[in-house]
This record gives sequence, structure tokens and C-alpha cells, in this order.
Amino acid sequence: MKNKKIVFVMVTLVLMLALAPALTACGTGSTEGKTLKVGMTTPSSGPAAEKGAPMGHANLDAFEYINNELGGVKGYQVEVIWLDNAYDASKVATNVKRFMDEGAILFGTASSAMMSASMEIANRAEFPGIASFNAPILHRPPEHIYGQMPDYGDDWAAFARYYMDNIWEGTGKPRMALHLLNNSTGYGARDAAKAAADELGIEIISIDEHKADTQSEMDSLTRIKASNPDVLYISSTPAPTALILKNAYELGMYPGVTIGLGHAGITKALVDIAGADITEGVYGVFPTVNWGDNVSGMAKMTEYVRKLHPKDEGNMDYITSWAQSLIFAEVLRVAVENAGYDALVKGNVDSWRAVETQGIQKLKDYDVGGLHGPVSYTAGDNRLSKSVRIFQIKGGAITPITDWIEAPLVKYEQFDWFAK
Amino acid sequence: MSLPCGTRNYSYAEDMAILRTKTHWVFFIGFLALLYASPLYLGNYWLGVVNLIGITLVAATGLNILVGYCGQLSIGHAGFIALGAYTSAIVTNRMELPFLVGLIAAGLVAGVVGLIFGLPSIRVKGFYLAITTIAAQFIILWVINHWDSVTGGFVGIRAPYPSIAGFEFRTETSQFFLITTVAVITVFFAKNLARTRVGRAFIAVRDNDLAAEVMGINLLFYKLLAFFIGCFMAGIAGSLLAHWIGFINAEHFSLKESILYIGMIIIGGLGTTVGPIFGVVLIRLLQQTLTVQVVPFLEGTFDMMPSGFATGITPMLFGLVIILFLILEPRGLAHRWALFKAAYRLWPFSY
Amino acid sequence: MAELLQYIITGLSVGMVYALIALGFALIWKSSSVANLALGQIVLISSWVTYATLAQAQFPVWLAFPLVILFALLLGWSIERFALRPLIAQPILALITVTLGIGYFIEGLVNFIWPWSVDALPRLFPREVVHIGPAVISQEYLWVVGICLMVFLLLTLFFRYHKMGIAMRATADDQMAVQACGIPVTKVFSRSWMFACVVAAIGGVLISSIGGITHGLVETGLKAFSVVILGGLDSFIGAMVAGPIIGLLETLGGGYLTPIIGWGGVKDIIPFVIIIVVMILKPYGLFGEVRIERI
Repeated sequence: MKNKKIVFVMVTLVLMLALAPALTACGTGSTEGKTLKVGMTTPSSGPAAEKGAPMGHANLDAFEYINNELGGVKGYQVEVIWLDNAYDASKVATNVKRFMDEGAILFGTASSAMMSASMEIANRAEFPGIASFNAPILHRPPEHIYGQMPDYGDDWAAFARYYMDNIWEGTGKPRMALHLLNNSTGYGARDAAKAAADELGIEIISIDEHKADTQSEMDSLTRIKASNPDVLYISSTPAPTALILKNAYELGMYPGVTIGLGHAGITKALVDIAGADITEGVYGVFPTVNWGDNVSGMAKMTEYVRKLHPKDEGNMDYITSWAQSLIFAEVLRVAVENAGYDALVKGNVDSWRAVETQGIQKLKDYDVGGLHGPVSYTAGDNRLSKSVRIFQIKGGAITPITDWIEAPLVKYEQFDWFAK
Repeated sequence: MSLPCGTRNYSYAEDMAILRTKTHWVFFIGFLALLYASPLYLGNYWLGVVNLIGITLVAATGLNILVGYCGQLSIGHAGFIALGAYTSAIVTNRMELPFLVGLIAAGLVAGVVGLIFGLPSIRVKGFYLAITTIAAQFIILWVINHWDSVTGGFVGIRAPYPSIAGFEFRTETSQFFLITTVAVITVFFAKNLARTRVGRAFIAVRDNDLAAEVMGINLLFYKLLAFFIGCFMAGIAGSLLAHWIGFINAEHFSLKESILYIGMIIIGGLGTTVGPIFGVVLIRLLQQTLTVQVVPFLEGTFDMMPSGFATGITPMLFGLVIILFLILEPRGLAHRWALFKAAYRLWPFSY
Repeated sequence: MAELLQYIITGLSVGMVYALIALGFALIWKSSSVANLALGQIVLISSWVTYATLAQAQFPVWLAFPLVILFALLLGWSIERFALRPLIAQPILALITVTLGIGYFIEGLVNFIWPWSVDALPRLFPREVVHIGPAVISQEYLWVVGICLMVFLLLTLFFRYHKMGIAMRATADDQMAVQACGIPVTKVFSRSWMFACVVAAIGGVLISSIGGITHGLVETGLKAFSVVILGGLDSFIGAMVAGPIIGLLETLGGGYLTPIIGWGGVKDIIPFVIIIVVMILKPYGLFGEVRIERI
């Protein structure tokens, strides 16, 4: 008899434990009130936290600005479900499912790798998403994932075009060597070069790869130097880029060849590590403005960063994510105008279709407070902003030398070698 | 209805049984019923977490057979999972063969490659073998990243929905049944493996391989078999993972993951069958709780904290958990569970 | 031909960097048979502390470096005292895993204190390059080679002639006998960890002055494993010889094999392939001591 009681108690405990998730799942009932829900996930902890944490801050700060000062979107407050993904693919997969469960109608990610982990789930369910850092695999062929900014392939294409138009003075094809980081940052540039170099009239003489922790690239640069390049394009992060520049300087290659950098590399950290003397005259591509530039959205962003996250001032990724939230608000505004609030609040596949067709795809010339290139949707092209500016390092300062240039569209899926 | 407090078996079959009394059977079937009924009350998100736990469990069980039962230290498990994931994706995506072919092929490819990289285990053990497996992981990932034409290189590769005999596993619930069934079969296999001749040979090799060889156990065969089985399961887990996420990239399979798997089986308890279950559930739930509950909470309430607090807390906590478990409970949670069961059986004489 | 000379010179100098880190590893293995898989992270945190003293607190060099050494001593002592002392007689899996856990923990700590992942040390060495025939080498690398040789010399002399060094060798051989002789084994372990962390810290400072402080310092720690495997886990001379060999193979491979194979990044995989080859051919390395196992 004692046994029976004990067994009964244990069974009850087990059942309670098993049902507990159900209780919490029911517990997060939507707060009634007219809101629109969006989901945001950033790698705020883990290996990419240095970029992800300010981006998460910026997303939330911008929505606070939109909700408090602008009265939300057309009077409706925007409720942000923010989740950290710790740069882990399986976690991002569960995050997206949670967004869909909780009735979000749009979601955003910070890194392209995280979006690549969630895009299949989102595409299959027709749940639209906007990735702030873009990559060709996310939006070619175009489905329900949109890229906020130009990707590393676009960087290369824009720089290549600028180089052909403004710097190259010889006859025939200039000889370009690529030096790539061993991940999608570097290989994004390679894919663009493979697809578009012939069209632009450039000859790619060598493609080299390096790791993020490389100690010396003297070997690859010696080989490159022996083939007499005219221009070297490095698509990488600041530390290895600095190392390559130092090695190129030591070998006597630079000053000499023209050097161009992708937007992951041309940051203040690069100038700090390599030194202003070595980086003098290096070109680079960047898709957003700088802190302190005179554009309409700068004042509010600076005010909020100083109020809420003063340590993030000066961080370029903060600008990107602030702009991402502004774009979200604009998408919602256009969608509410065209499709109506009631269609959107349902939070199911109909709302998602409405947000996409009546919101994202109706974006036209939205200037994002001037923080980056203008945002417009063109059919067949899921990149929202396609423009970058060319910069050059002069005296240790990264100065812009052009206005917004549009990066040409490359239809990667036409090529056999592009991943399906 | 009583639980056994001593050993009183009347037949050989009774002695060898895993579940020995009616109460055991009731609990076991009740647990299975609860597990399979969970789609009824868990939302998509929690079902996804359970799926992730199931996939991780398959891989961790394989690692447990390799490290816990056979004593071959392997810190490159994520590489074999990656191999399984990519094989399955390539087979179903590029070669357009059915999912079951992909699943089995994933296990076989991972098993064979594991066998090849396990060859050094004949000559070395302990730390040397661990470094070899780390090198193996890096080589596997490097080949995956660079063999563009087959694997999609750095960009990654898509994996379509799994489908068996025409039925496509589109929803989280259907994937749950698939993954849970595979996990149950795997755990059942591991439990029985430990009770057969092969399992006993593994344990002998782990405890003292020289003595085992002297006793007549063929070291070459059994060590390679352990590698094969362990990596076969990793391959199966990888295949399930690829089709669950839908898109895989070599970045998902880093050295950190391998270290986490070692941590899981140690925290759970090496060399037991329930050990991996405890370890996997604990670590995955800890991860989910940290990212979903703790970090937003900390970010929200502690604006004054240095901005590195939330970002650094997760690795610090995990490292601390691993270290503390090793110092305080080196035999893992399974040991605690066994103590609890023994105490319960003998109560009130459990001293 | 000029290229070959450049490859050789670069390879040798890069290899010395690896050798320096490998010395720290060999030190711990030689005295306590513990494999320190947290080496990369120790290098990382030492570099960050150097940054903190030099750039953040703006101490002058003669004050900053002793502080870094002090920090490394403290780090080694606390790792040994709190994480390894409780696990003295445990099987090797537990020890390796605890160092893995420590590595994880240190990485989190680094993230916690310095949340930005890349930074630069102020310039410590002059910028001009030295020309050796048609090849060039930067002065930083010459300093690295010099300091590495000095550390190696100090360590070898210490282990051969100093009382504590001899005690460390004895402990690695047979702990029980050493305890019976009255030598405090715990103190031996403590000292060896402290020294190893100091060596790793020196390595870290040198590396980060060349390439900046990034998370990649951890991966460089992994490359040091290939050096110790090739050279022999418990041999200093092995580390000094194997380091340049691996650096040389890397650079030559990167220079000549990459166009042949067609895939980029051949250079990165060479150390790991070497590990596998050494394991199959000569598991104990070039200079390692062959352990004969008895039942």
C-alpha cells in the first residue's frame, strides 16, 4: 500500500513535469492591444557577440524610438520579439519557429550565416525575412528572404566597376588577384568575380585564400607578386587584411599595385592594427554612412545611442541595425496602408503574404534617413538597398570619394557552379 | 505491484531482462506514451527543441559508445556529424535519391571515414588519439569547404524535406516522430550492444587494452569497430540535422561543438546508456534557457552592466559547469540517478 | 629562386612563433603529464592583458611587461590550484576535458571584459624590413626568433641544473617516488603551470604585436599542437626543431602546392595532415620519449 502511494505521487510528478511546457506555452498569450509583432534575432552572445550585441541594441533602440516618438506605425505599436541566437544554427532554427508560433509577421537576422540556417524554414512556410548582412545564397533565386544591404559580391562588383571607370588607365584587361578569407565573406567576392569579371573586362590571375588567424601571407603574396598584378582585392576582416597589407608593404608590392577592400575589412580597427602609414591610399567599399555624417537620420540615432547604449557609439554595425528597424517600420507602414491592419494582425500565412506583397514589394525610394543607400524593391531582385560608396584611406582616416553607386545585379543561379 | 529490492530471478531470461517487473514496464510504456503524445501539447518551438535534443542524442550515444565503452578519446565528433549531414544533403539534393538512401549513406560514409581516421588508435591512445581526432575534424571540414563542385563549398548546401515512400515530413510534428523513432532505436541498440560480446570486449579494451589483447581480444578489430559504430551514429544524426534545418554550412560544425559533445557525455555519465540522455537534455535545455530567458532578462534589467556581461556569460557558464561536474561528480548524472534508484528501492534501509 | 629563399626565411621565422607556444605545452607535459588544451586561450587572455596595461591604462613598457608576467603567474597558479588539484589521480579524459572547460571559461571571460574582438597593440618594434639577399624579413620576426631562442635556453638550463627543474622531471617520471623523497608534488605542479603560462604570455605578446589581437590566437594555439606532436610531447629541443620544420612546410606548401592543387588554403591544412602522418609513422615524435607500457 505504501508502494502504491509512492508510485502514484511519482506518476503525478512526472506528468506535471511533462505538462509544464504546455503551461508556459499557454502563458505567453498575446497582450491584447493593437500591436504588430516582428521577430529579431541577433548573435548577442557567442563568437560573433562583438558585432551581434550592438546590432541587437540598435534594433531595440530604434523600435523604442519608433514606438515612443513616432507613435508606432500608423498608430499601432510594434512589439518586438527579440531572441539571441549565439551564432548557433540550430538555435536560429528554433528561434524562427518561435517567431512563427507567436504571431510575428516579419523577422530579421543580423548575420548572413544565421539567415542561411533559417531561410529554408522561412521559405517553406512563406514567412518573410530581412537579413541585414546579405549573401547571394540568401536571395538567389529570389524567394521570401530579402537582403537589407549589398553583399560581399556586390562590393566586388561595385569596386570593379569603379576601378575600370576611374583608376585603370592602361589598355586591355587589368590583372586582378583576389585574396579571400576562408568563409562566405571572402568567397562571396570570388563568386561575383567568377560571374562578372569577363563582363567587366577584368582578368582574374589568381585566387588565394587565408585564414582569419594567419600569421604571415608572405608565401602567397610572393607568388602573386611574381605574376605582376595591377590590382589586389582583399575580401576579409580587419586583422588578416592588416597582415596582408603589412606583408605587401614589406615585399615592396605596395605602394605599387592598387588595393581594394570589401566592407568587412575597411574599418577603424584596420587602420589601428596596420598603421596609418601602411594603409595610405587603400580603397574600400562601404554600404553605410559614418557616425557624424550630415544626414537626416543621424541626430535621432546619436541621441538614442547616447541615452541607452553609450558604449556602442561609433560602432558601424549599430548604424546597420538601426536602419534595419527603420526599414521594418516602413515595410509595416506600407503594408498597413495597402492591406489593412486586420489582415496583418492574424499572424498566419495570409498575413505573411500580405506583408511581403503589399509591404516589402511596394517599397520605393525610401531613404532610411540617409543612413545608407535608398531602399527600393525591383522585381526579380531581393536586395533592398543596392548602393555602396567607395572610400579611400587618407592620413589614417577613411574618407568617402564617391556618392552612392549601385552595384549591378548578378544572377548567380544561372551558373552551374552556384550552390542550389 | 512492487519494485525489486533484491535479486530473485527464476529463469535465465528473467536474469537478462532489462525491465524486470511489471512496474518497470508500466513506467517505461507510460514514458514512451508521454513522449509520443507530446506534439499534442507542445508548440512548434518546444517541439523543435525536443527534435534538436533527439538529434543530439543520437550523436551523443555514438560518442558514448566510442569514448565511454571503448575508451577511445575522440574530440572530433562534429566533423563526422558534418560528414553525415553533407552526404545526406548531396545524395538527396544533387543525386536526387530517396531520403532513406541518404540516411544510410550518411551513416556509412561517416562510419568508413571514422574507421580510417581511427587507424592511429592502434598505435596511440589518450591524448595522442585526441589530437588525431581534432586533426581529423579539421581535415574533414577543410575538404568540405573546398570541394566546391560537390559540396557547395563555403556557401553551403540545401537539403530537401525527408520523405519516405512518398510521405513528406513537412511539419515539425512529422519530423518529431521520425527523429524520436530513430533516437529510440539508437538508444535501444546501444543498451543491447553493451550486453553482448562486442560490448564486453569494448569495456575490456577500455579498462586495459594490453590485458585484453593478452586475453585474446583482437584489438584492431574492436577498436575500429567502435570507431565505425560511433561515427555511423554521428552520420545518422548529421543526416537528420541537415534535413531538419534545411540548409547546412560547415560553420555549424566547429570544434566548440565537439567539445560540447564531450562535455555532454561526461556530465551525463560515461559508459552508461542513460548518461547521454541526461547530458544532452541538460546541456540543450541550459543553452535554450540562457539564450531565450536569461540573456534578454539581463539585457533588459542591467543596462548598467558592462556590455560584455551577457555576451561572455554563456561560455563562462558552460566552462564552469563542465569543470564543476568533473571535480564534484566525475561519474556524471547517471551515477546520481543510479544512487537515487538504489536508495529508493532499499528505503527505509537505504544507508 | 628568389621566391624559394623568401619562402624559407618566412617559414623558419613563423615556425619559431609556433615553437614558442609549443614550449609552454611541453613544459606542462614534461612536469605533470597533463595535456593543456587551453593553451590558445591562455595566449589570448595574456595578449588582452598586455593590451589593457599598455593601451588602456597607458602604463609605460617597463611597468606593463612585469605586470603581464605577474598576471600569467597568477593565472597559472589559480588554474592549477582550483581546477587541476582536485583531479590529481583521475584518468586522462577527465584532465583533458577540464582543460577544455577552462579554455571555454577563459574565452567567455575575455568576451566579458573586452567585448570587442579585435584590437591592436601599440607598435613595439620598428617597421623597416631587413633584406637578406632578394628576400625580406620584418624586424618583428627577428625579435621573435631571438626571444624564442633565449626562452628555450633558459628552460633547458633550468630543467637540467636547477633543483626545481630536476624535481619537475622526477615528478613526471614517478609521482609516488618523488613524494616518498619528500618533494612537495603539488608545489611542483604549481610552478610548472605558472612557468608555462608565462611562456605562453610571452608568445602571445609577440604574436599580437605582429598581427593584432584577434580570436585567431586560439587557432594558432591549435597549430602549436602539431609542433609538439612532431617534435615529441615532452621535448624542448623537439619543439624548437619541429616548429621551424612545420613553418617551413606550411610556407613551401602554400607557395608551391596551391597552384598545383587548385584549391586555396592548402597552407592551412598542412599542419593537420602532418599530425596524422606522424601518428601513423612515429607516434612519439622526433625527439619524444617512447613510453613502454606494462600490464
